[in-house]
Amino acid sequence: MLKVLDTGLNTTIQDMGRNGLYHLGVPPSGAADKYSFQLGNLLLGNPVHYAGLEMTLLGAAIEFRKKTVIAVTGAPMDVYLNHGKIPMWENVKVEEGDVLSFKSAQSGVRTYLCVSGGILVPEMLGSKSTYSLNQFGAYIGKKLVNGTELGLGEPLPGVFKQVGKRIPPTYTPQFGDRVDIRVVMGLSSYRLSDEGIKAFLNTEWRVSAESNRVACRYKGATISYKKFEPPFGAGSGSSNVVDIAYPIGVLMVPNSEEIIMLLNDATTGGGFVTVGTAISPDLDKVSQSRPNSTTRFIAVTVDQAITARLEKKKKLLKLTELLDGRPI
Amino acid sequence: MFTLPETRFDFSGDEYIYAEISRNMSAESNFKALAITNELRNRSIPGIIDICPSNASYLIRFNPEIISAHDLLDYLKEIDVTKSNPSELNLKIRIVEIPIWYDDPITREYSERYKNRHPCPELSNFEFIMKTNNFKDKEELIISHSSTPYLISMMGFTPGTAWEFPLGISPEQIIQTPKYLSPRPDTPKQAVGLGGAFTVIYSVPGPGSYQLIGLSAVPVFDPERKLEDLKDMLFLAKPGDIWKHRPIGENEYNRIVSQVNRGTYRYHMKEVEFSPEEYFAKGKEYINQIMEGF
Repeated sequence: MLKVLDTGLNTTIQDMGRNGLYHLGVPPSGAADKYSFQLGNLLLGNPVHYAGLEMTLLGAAIEFRKKTVIAVTGAPMDVYLNHGKIPMWENVKVEEGDVLSFKSAQSGVRTYLCVSGGILVPEMLGSKSTYSLNQFGAYIGKKLVNGTELGLGEPLPGVFKQVGKRIPPTYTPQFGDRVDIRVVMGLSSYRLSDEGIKAFLNTEWRVSAESNRVACRYKGATISYKKFEPPFGAGSGSSNVVDIAYPIGVLMVPNSEEIIMLLNDATTGGGFVTVGTAISPDLDKVSQSRPNSTTRFIAVTVDQAITARLEKKKKLLKLTELLDGRPI
Repeated sequence: MFTLPETRFDFSGDEYIYAEISRNMSAESNFKALAITNELRNRSIPGIIDICPSNASYLIRFNPEIISAHDLLDYLKEIDVTKSNPSELNLKIRIVEIPIWYDDPITREYSERYKNRHPCPELSNFEFIMKTNNFKDKEELIISHSSTPYLISMMGFTPGTAWEFPLGISPEQIIQTPKYLSPRPDTPKQAVGLGGAFTVIYSVPGPGSYQLIGLSAVPVFDPERKLEDLKDMLFLAKPGDIWKHRPIGENEYNRIVSQVNRGTYRYHMKEVEFSPEEYFAKGKEYINQIMEGF
């Protein structure tokens, strides 16, 4: 068992998410930066979907009531076990009564704590993930509060022999203040003017503070719409379309001053003009983009998107082999 | 019978295909989306993760490591051409009553709170709809909104939220409204919102861009499985179902909410066979026929 002494800014239980319920309005949820999250589980030899904690900007303080092995990954934070600093991206043994505490993230947004055997909470609709807009998911959902106690799985056989094992630095992600996000253009981009499309692709967009697990909002340029008779049923605003189911990663243009990208806890449908969709291997970088950091959107074809996806997957497989872990 | 223009397909990122049946909303486009996605669901194709029928479109999420994106696109195009006849789509549906407290103080307060994101900040959302649709008084809007049955044309947004599209009235009789200029970060649970030609009932607190006109006394999502009628599914809505709104006042609102909280509330509903083909042939007359006695 572990006890949350201090939840930090916003700490939730996440796994690899829930699938197949999107048509009912249930978004996938799950770890926002799946690459970092999976690396934590891989390092421990856990199946990659085992639940862990996701911390946002300001870390938590946690007391362990069980001897086990942990790994901390994601956005760099100073991490202390009792009073000694411990490394991230490395398996660390904790004893019963140890207190793990985190400072604030130096760059990036989300830091993960994975534990051998995973965090044990009941599943809701097939996943332990917390869904931020509603009281469901892991800990029948709300944010964890101070004093919350969570069950831990049995440390996996052999895991204590894995203490000290680490992720080689070439495999750890970078958390900079500037990212390129690849986008497959399309959907209702025909509603934007040529200048609007150019402004979308040629601007360094700034991430707004009103960003979270539901969506990332960007500001920076003016995107103009084409003169267009709004279709029947859409509403008369120039950004209004007849409501569609939104892909995760979709970029909406609800007004000419703002673009909004939907993430894992997305509102799954709606009626705004959409310019395209970020490719899934780049969503980890979006989730780690801080308010006021900048983003450029790069147009790619669907074939390039799939190639990028496979490259990322190969990297994970190679790392798995290197760590002698379980297959993904 | 009726005809629809050819569906337009688009890749979205590396794992979605978006199919736009039409840019305009119509019951025809919606039933086509339902017919095709039902067919696809029955075929259980490996690699397909999500099948989402939407108002006048549908969205497919797939794993491109299991199924080729281009092969799947060709496959969808074939289904779109050969299996899109809504006249074959007969549905066992439910008609469900939704009691609504129109122009209530909570949604009025939200209108005020987020007026800086609104195209017409000096009006409440309710007043804005009255003005843009030429309603002279409050009652007129309430009667117009609650006298028409609505088709559940799509689910999504948040768990169990459903889009409702009016049935049996002509396009010019449908209340239409633009959305917020920038989405509100918050919306009260069970708020009734209007956007475009659609009504939604927000299932949980969250963002939103529709104009708020009232509060539903009954939930559309029951994660705690308190209510008998939602035990199996958690969600009230089902695409193809018909909902009917009934205006209520504060006292009845409070009475129903307390029944819901105690877990004793039962939805007023009935099951009927619905034939899209008959609806397209007879229109309002057919709707009146299936609504009879409800």
